[in-house]
Parts: sequence; C-alpha cells; structure tokens
Amino acid sequence: MLEVLDQARLLVVTGKGGTGKTTVAAGLAVAAAGRGRRVLVAEVEGRQGLAGLFGRRVLEHSEMRVAEGVNGLAIDPDESLREYLARYGFAPLARLLSWANLNRFITAAAPGLGDVLLVGKVWEAATREARPGLAAYDLVVLDAPPTGRVVPFLRAPETVAELARVGPIRHQADRVRDLLDDPGRTAVLLTCLPEELPVTETLEGVAALREAGLPVAGVIANRVTGDRLGGRAGRLAALARDPAPLAAAAAAAGAGLDGEALARLVGEARDRQRQVARERRLLKELRAGLDGLPTVELPFLTGGVGGPGEVRALAAHLVPPEEATARDDRPPARRAAGAGSGGG
Amino acid sequence: MSPRAAGTAAGAAVVSGPGSPLAELARSARIVVCCGSGGVGKTSTAAAVALWAAEAGRRTCVLTIDPARRLAQALGLDLLSNAPVPVRAKGLPARGPGSLDAMMLDMRRTFDEVIERYARDDEQADRILANRFYQRLSSTLAGTQEYMAMEKLYELHESQRYDLLVVDTPPTRSALDFLDAPDNLNELLDARAFRLLIAPAQRIGRGYLRGLNLATTAMTKMVRRVTGSELLAEVGEFFAAFEGMYDGFKERAGLVYDQLRHPSTAFVVVATPDGAALREAAYFAGRLAADRMPLGALVVNRIHQAEPVPRVPAAARRRLAAGGADGRLLADLLELHDGLEALAEAEQRRVRDLLATVPNLGVVQVPLLADDVHDLGGLRRLGEHLFA
Repeated sequence: MLEVLDQARLLVVTGKGGTGKTTVAAGLAVAAAGRGRRVLVAEVEGRQGLAGLFGRRVLEHSEMRVAEGVNGLAIDPDESLREYLARYGFAPLARLLSWANLNRFITAAAPGLGDVLLVGKVWEAATREARPGLAAYDLVVLDAPPTGRVVPFLRAPETVAELARVGPIRHQADRVRDLLDDPGRTAVLLTCLPEELPVTETLEGVAALREAGLPVAGVIANRVTGDRLGGRAGRLAALARDPAPLAAAAAAAGAGLDGEALARLVGEARDRQRQVARERRLLKELRAGLDGLPTVELPFLTGGVGGPGEVRALAAHLVPPEEATARDDRPPARRAAGAGSGGG
Repeated sequence: MSPRAAGTAAGAAVVSGPGSPLAELARSARIVVCCGSGGVGKTSTAAAVALWAAEAGRRTCVLTIDPARRLAQALGLDLLSNAPVPVRAKGLPARGPGSLDAMMLDMRRTFDEVIERYARDDEQADRILANRFYQRLSSTLAGTQEYMAMEKLYELHESQRYDLLVVDTPPTRSALDFLDAPDNLNELLDARAFRLLIAPAQRIGRGYLRGLNLATTAMTKMVRRVTGSELLAEVGEFFAAFEGMYDGFKERAGLVYDQLRHPSTAFVVVATPDGAALREAAYFAGRLAADRMPLGALVVNRIHQAEPVPRVPAAARRRLAAGGADGRLLADLLELHDGLEALAEAEQRRVRDLLATVPNLGVVQVPLLADDVHDLGGLRRLGEHLFA
C-alpha cells in the first residue's frame, strides 16, 4: 500500500457499502500526509461522511484544511453544475430560470452529466498546478461511490461523450480518461470486510473495474478481529472440558471468579477464536481470488465510532509510525509527520 | 441468548416489550419494505422475514433490486429473474398453505413493461423502447430504479398471488428516492417545458411569459452546445412518441404511492450498532415520518454481548499476569471480556440515542451470529432472533 500512497496522484477508494470506505479514505489521506505529501480528500455523494471524521459538522464545496497536510472537499453536484455553466458563459441564463428547473432540464437532457461534473472536478483538482510545473496537490484521495456504481460513475464522461460527440464534454472526457486509465497516476483501492458477502462482492468489483480498464491497485481488508489468543485454541478447548486448572490459577491469584464466571470467559474467548478462524478462512479466499493483488489488513477498532481518533489510528496502521518519518528525500513542501502518528 | 432478555451484563439492553414487533408485521402486513445502509444485513433480514412468514403459512414473495445478487446468494439461488420463482431448497415449499418465492428486479425490463402496458399499440411501444433518450432515462434518472421496484411491487400486490411481499431496497440513501420518483418522473414526462425546449417557436402556450420564451431559446442553444444536437433530436422523438401515455402513467404512480402509505404496508429500518449505520437509520426513519409512511420496526443486527463476570481487582490481575501459563491466559481472557463489555455498552448507548429521536419505534436486536447467513438454515437461525 505504501507504493501507491507515495506515487499515485489519484487514489480512488471504493468498496461495498458498510465496509468503511469513507473512514479508510480519510485514513489514507492522513497517512499520505504523514509521509510528506500534500493531500486533498474529496467526497462526491453528498453524504457529508468525511466531515465527522475530521471533527467537523460539514465540509464545503470549497477546499479547506481539515488536518495536517490534508485539505477536505465535499463536491456538490449543484455547485459543480453552476461552475460548469459559468465557465461556458451561461450565468445569465442560470439567473433567468429557477435553479430547480434548470437542473432538471440539464440532468434529464443528458443523464449522467451530474457524474461527469463530479468526476471532472476530481480530475481538475488532481491535475491542477499551483504554478507551472508544480502540482497543487501531490495526491487526491476520492471517497468514490460504492462498488456497484463506481464503474458507471468513473466512466460517466465516456458514456455521455458517446451521446455528445462534439463540444466541451467530449474534450474533457478524453482528458479524464487519460488520467483514470493511467496506472502510473491513478490507483483504485477497494475496501472489504472479512465476511462472506463482502468478499464475494469485492472479487466481483475487482473484475468489473479491471474489465473497464481501470487500474486496481489493491484491497484493504477492514475491521479484522485481533487474535490475542493466537496459538492457545487447544488449551482453551481443554479448559472448556475441564476448567479445574483455570479455577486453580484464579484461586491462587485471589481473582474471585467462580466456575460460572470462568466458563463464560472461556466461552467468550472460544467464540472470538471461531470468529478469528472464520475471518482467516475468508481472507484466504479473498487473496486466492485476487491472484497476487496486494491486500492490507486493518484491525477492528472499537466498533466504528467514527472520528478523528479512529482516522489517526487507521493511518497509523496503514503507515507504521517508524516508516512515517523515514522519508527525507522529498524537498518541496514536506510536512511534519505528526498527523500520521498517534494512537486513537 | 437473546439480547432482548433482561439482565445482560452489558446492562440496560434496549427491550422492545413482549413479542417481537416483526412477528405482528409478518403475520398481518401485506407489504414489508426493508431499508437501511449497505452491509447491515438488510437482504438477509428481508429474506428471513419472508421465510418466517412462509413457514407461518403465508404465501410470500421476497423482491430485491440489489445489483450484487446478494439475495440470490442468501437464498442459495443462482439466478433471479424479473418474475418470481419458487425457492427450492430443503424444507421448501413449506408444508401447509405457505410458500416462498423470490425475484430480483430487472429495473430496465420493468420500465419496458410499463411502457408496453400504457402504449396505444406495439408500434408506439417499439418507438419508445428503441429511443436512445428513453434508454438513458430508464437507467440513469435518479430514483427511477427505486420507483420501478415499487411499480413491480404494486403489480405483484395487485395480482393477489401473495399474502405478503417483502422488498429489499438498494443500500444507499437514495433508496427512498422512490418516494419522490413518481413526482420527478411525472414532471419530466409531463414535460411541457421539454416541448418548449424542442420546438420553442411553435409550442409556446398562452400562459408563458416572454422571459421564459427567451430563456428556453437560450436553453436550447446551450443544450445543443453542451451535448451535441443529436441528443436533442432523440429527446424530441421521445416526447413525440410518449404523447398520450402520460395520464395512465401518472395515475399508476399515484396508486403505488397510496399503497406504500396504506396501513397494511410496513417499513422496517435495518442497521448495525455501528455509528454510521445508526445515523443512516435515523435519516431513514425521519424521512419516512416526513412522508407519513408506516414505520414498522427497527432491526439492529450484529449486536455484541458480554455476559456478567465479577470485577477482578487490578492486584489480582497482576498476580495472574505474572503467574503460570493458565494464569496469563486468564488475564488475557479478562482483558478480552473488558473490551467486549465496553463495546457492548457503547453499542447499547448508541441504539438508545437513536431510539430517543424516534418515538414509539419497536426495536429488535440480533446478536452477532457465529456464521454468515448464506442458506435457509442461516435464515432460520436469523429468524429465531428476529422473531424471538
């Protein structure tokens, strides 16, 4: 995962709903900033999912600093349309008709135009130059629509361009495609959970993205249950049958645990072990299906409270703290590594 | 054990009163609509409710519009079609009068069927179906997919083939766009404005202001400039072909909407105790209340539970950790338990916070199950918790 964090210009984060796509996108942005890159993290679905992760109520349709080295942006379809119309000289028209009517006209006349504008905005940020030869951002992280919709979303410029063979849409579609299809600049990551249906859907999603010619760079297995009892499953099974040694240990330490309490503790631990074993099996299936595509595991963190602490913790898992400060070979605009560390 | 039983260690589990609120719905409702964000077990919940009702003797059909074919997996089916098919598996069809069918909605096919139903003749239907603008419209206009699911639901409801229909909505906020979709679609298809757009000079009626005339002329220019002129020609052909179909369409949309609001329909919001999923659940509940749709119950899947264990003082824990292998193991077990307890408490707090915002909502909590639900056995086990 480190390679794409350091090298990609655009990280597209998708995944089945409920797999922590938005939180992982925020974590990737903070991790990349911790490695000295100037990062923009953007969402496009109007959900305001990123705001809370950076301790804010809302993000705006304009870029604002949300963490050390990270700007945040909630791309708004309506605002994007306004900008688009203004750019092509239709501002007076927009004033003449009610906005709702105008919007309905355009989105119905060219379905998919909304996605075109959202993708266009992402493309603009990823290719913008602060001054000639210097990119405004080293990396744009896109919290993209979920797996089922991501291909039509990313390919919207192409789709609409098929209808509109002339004009600015066609022109922009070509440039967007150049960026999205370039594995040297763009990397698509999928979030997944160690559960049966998400694993299946991730494999389907990878196949669909590849078929569309989009550069899939890896899968992030999120919320993997920690295995602190590793290697002691046999002992637990023995203690479940005969708890006497555990009772003796408890008594010797003065722990005040009766047989019922000990049985519950052992039962909980064995449930956990079964969970761990099941996740292992599913992650193995995932890896087998991915056929060499990199996977990264992130731990289950206290049940998805969702806030800056969780984002920092995920970033720390994406880039272990000792590696966050290891890079000193980037001269321009290198930031302190502080944002990427910290426990959560 | 069920989290709905009293006195779990996590303390103050939210209890829904005697009997699951879902049992009443599955016995008496005609339509159950499951909504919620992705990955919360919505499809499994819908299928488990349908299976329970079928086994309780009702003729039941479960519909999904989810493109990932998850219901197909959950039901052990390879393929679902745009018509209900009997679920064939061990123990099914059920003994007695009950039965279980399943279908996956082919949204585009449903839209085509609607066009075929309201077209004057085959020629009109063919012209519309072949139109490129129609083809875009039928697959991309926001809420169309959701609305078509409701259209299919209504069609099955009208057929009276089933006592209960259970429908699984797509895993997004836009799942409830179908509440707006009849309006959006009607406005679009009514489309006086569109006719203006296509032929501004000829079609302007008495009531239109000169300003609008100018605006639409400019609009036409803009749309041509932005999209190319071929599209506009397609749009024109579409509306010409659609002439006369509008009234039937509008009436139908009204009937669908009325049925959704009818007391024999129940919406079930599905969530997990995860913060984001519960926020989405609150959004859905609020949205349904605003449209005065009948909200039936909240299902919270994958609840963590910790059973009560006496508190062990820190000194004893240190002695355990410093002791033999079993002592160290026990110290780890205690730590694991503490984590589980904290998680269970946090989850209950979040569920209570949500319920405080939605008065009188029955809630069913389902513990984290040991296995993924991917067959009828799994659905029955889930059903035991849903209907306990």
